[in-house]
Amino acid sequence: MNIDRASAVDDLPISPLTLEESSNDITSPSTVPSSNGSVPSGSHAEDVVENVKEDVVKDLSSVGGDDVLGENLERDGEVPVSPSSSGCDDARDEIEDVDTDSNHGAMTVNSAADGAPWVPGKRYHDEDDSSISWRKRRKHFFVLSNSGKPIYSRYGDEHKLAGFSATLQAIISFVENGGDHVKFVRAGKHQVVFLVKGPIYLVCISCTEDPYESLKGQLELIYGQVLLILTKSVNKCFEKNSKFDMTPLLGGTEDIFSSLIHAFGWNPATFLHAYTCLPLTYSSRQAVCSILQDVADSGVLFSILMCKHKVISLEGAQKTSLHPDDMLLLSNFVLASESFRTSESFSPICLPRYNPMGFLYAYVHFIDIDTYLVLLTTNSDAFYHLKDCRKRIESVLVKLNVLGEIQKSKLDGNLHVENLPNEFLLSGPLQKNSEVITGVGGPSGLWHFIYRSVYLDQYVSSEFSSPLKNSKQQKRLYRCYQNLYISMHDRETGPYRTQFKRDENYALLCWITQDFELYAAFDPLADKVSAIKTCNKVCHWIRNMEKEIFLLGANPFSW
Amino acid sequence: MGCASSVPDRNAGSLTGLNDGSTASDSKNLKVKLVLLGDSGVGKSCIVLRFVRGQFDPTSKVTVGASFLSQTIALPDSTTVKFEIWDTAGQERYAALAPLYYRGAAVAVVAYDITSSESFSKAKYWVKELQKHGSPDIVMALVGNKADLHENRVVSVEDAVEYAEKNGMFFIETSAKTADNINQLFEEIAKRLPRPSVVSV
Repeated sequence: MNIDRASAVDDLPISPLTLEESSNDITSPSTVPSSNGSVPSGSHAEDVVENVKEDVVKDLSSVGGDDVLGENLERDGEVPVSPSSSGCDDARDEIEDVDTDSNHGAMTVNSAADGAPWVPGKRYHDEDDSSISWRKRRKHFFVLSNSGKPIYSRYGDEHKLAGFSATLQAIISFVENGGDHVKFVRAGKHQVVFLVKGPIYLVCISCTEDPYESLKGQLELIYGQVLLILTKSVNKCFEKNSKFDMTPLLGGTEDIFSSLIHAFGWNPATFLHAYTCLPLTYSSRQAVCSILQDVADSGVLFSILMCKHKVISLEGAQKTSLHPDDMLLLSNFVLASESFRTSESFSPICLPRYNPMGFLYAYVHFIDIDTYLVLLTTNSDAFYHLKDCRKRIESVLVKLNVLGEIQKSKLDGNLHVENLPNEFLLSGPLQKNSEVITGVGGPSGLWHFIYRSVYLDQYVSSEFSSPLKNSKQQKRLYRCYQNLYISMHDRETGPYRTQFKRDENYALLCWITQDFELYAAFDPLADKVSAIKTCNKVCHWIRNMEKEIFLLGANPFSW
Repeated sequence: MGCASSVPDRNAGSLTGLNDGSTASDSKNLKVKLVLLGDSGVGKSCIVLRFVRGQFDPTSKVTVGASFLSQTIALPDSTTVKFEIWDTAGQERYAALAPLYYRGAAVAVVAYDITSSESFSKAKYWVKELQKHGSPDIVMALVGNKADLHENRVVSVEDAVEYAEKNGMFFIETSAKTADNINQLFEEIAKRLPRPSVVSV
């Protein structure tokens, strides 16, 4: 049963734009779009953009979706629906979120500019559904059992929320009794999203205007995190006893869930379904890969070396693959569990995408404050073997000074838009465009981008340039990317190839090909043609550096 | 108790478990596997960290699975004992996995919090479990931790001593916070270890 979300939709006029995409690198001026946006000759016809939306800020004083005006020119004349016209203008969310999430960012997003690092853990323990403050929280997540027993709540005390949980359960059962399933309910500005996973129910109540798909994806990840800790065999407890109380089984895991929910606001992996690598010289990464492969060949299922949430190297035993979502959940689990930092550990974990029913055993060791090794095995007796493997790996890392390089890469950060090389700049008719935008950020007012390689299941995200220095702005941008991602992959109206969207905060350009997806944020006044040209340059730039920023070859994902 | 199917089969696999040779080496240099069991929050990790690193961190860090640490002590008779310590998670979901860690252990330290009778009951549960499934000659210690909080004591020394004696354990109260009796605990264990051969001196 779909309870309508009509209010979420604004029909935006669409204008066509032809963005040139060459299947190869841009090697000559002829492959760059000309100033009128038409397709240059010599390109692959099938690569021509099929649909471009453009929203132009007409009047900054108007509000909401009304301030957006566009022209539409689409091949088949159909007007695609923008799943959410908002998302970029929800400053209210950020403001009201201040007391919950505002002081984050520095720890994970390298923003450093604002405040203390975010601290994991549950907030507002003492609240319940009768507290006004609890009701005002903008985004709630609940996990409950099909008998209505609370299992987890982002805010407040689960035990005091028994009545509230029972209500949620009643809504789900009511619809199920009618032979249907409830996906979401819209009530005023609140959206209630439901996800049923056997005896476990997950619910999000949000007034952040995130699209349904995005909230559902977040609930899926929370469920995945539950499975990582308990496996799907927890369902058997409900078969034996329908009134089973699952809360004690999740004892001490609040930090893991709060850290995952926090990641929804800063970690693109939560919606891109891809992981990111720590930039490293090709030779160093190869050296790490080869020792990890050695270890994997000795009966270790997966050997993973990571720095915070970034992969340094990852090797798997033959014909095994590790899903990016599992990587996300695993790294979240390790990073949010302080005890791993104290000493080497051996712990059962489940990778839900690999095998939701069974435990693997994880050897976890922090080599330095942010760099850690995870060795996964199916053998519960393998600890001493894994410990020896770790010693071997560590000695290679020390011998080749890889740890020093990791430190340096960590300090340098990711790609900086300001460093986008200019050598591809063209003279001729485009010259005037390059003069249009000057100022902060990269060329053409490029503020930030995310590039996702489709084949590698990896993405690279630039550092935030100065207009995006505080965490509130970063969070808002991620929300826009997320909306963009959802709208580009919309099954009903998409998928799209490109989208150009402008509002008072940014000009956003998204470009999807068979090989990659590019999400770029520009100054809201950026010139479109010049933005397109810059996107081409970004892609070229990334391809030139792919050996350093991606993990290539011998890739377990390619199976 | 948790997810039944996630329990590693107790009877399957070798009895060695996470064993690197439980009591090994020569008579002068012993290496023993020690497992620490008890309810969550009684301070197992704090006891170990106080013993191994001389540190105490009041912020509680929930142990995941089990942590592995080692520490060597020298006895007055010039023997050394290297403890390989499995500090297990007290959370209920890991209870089913405990055999993985206590299998083949030469020493088990069962800890409770003197301010929590619930944790004392849990300690008794672990003692029974070890008597059933642990090594027959395992050295067991009953440890009442958080002795510095004696104003809030609910488990009396008499009860604990009585229980320990009945079960052939040795008993000690410790405080990881003040370091009281922590080294004594491990020295006492070391003294009680069966020696591979006659001790000289």
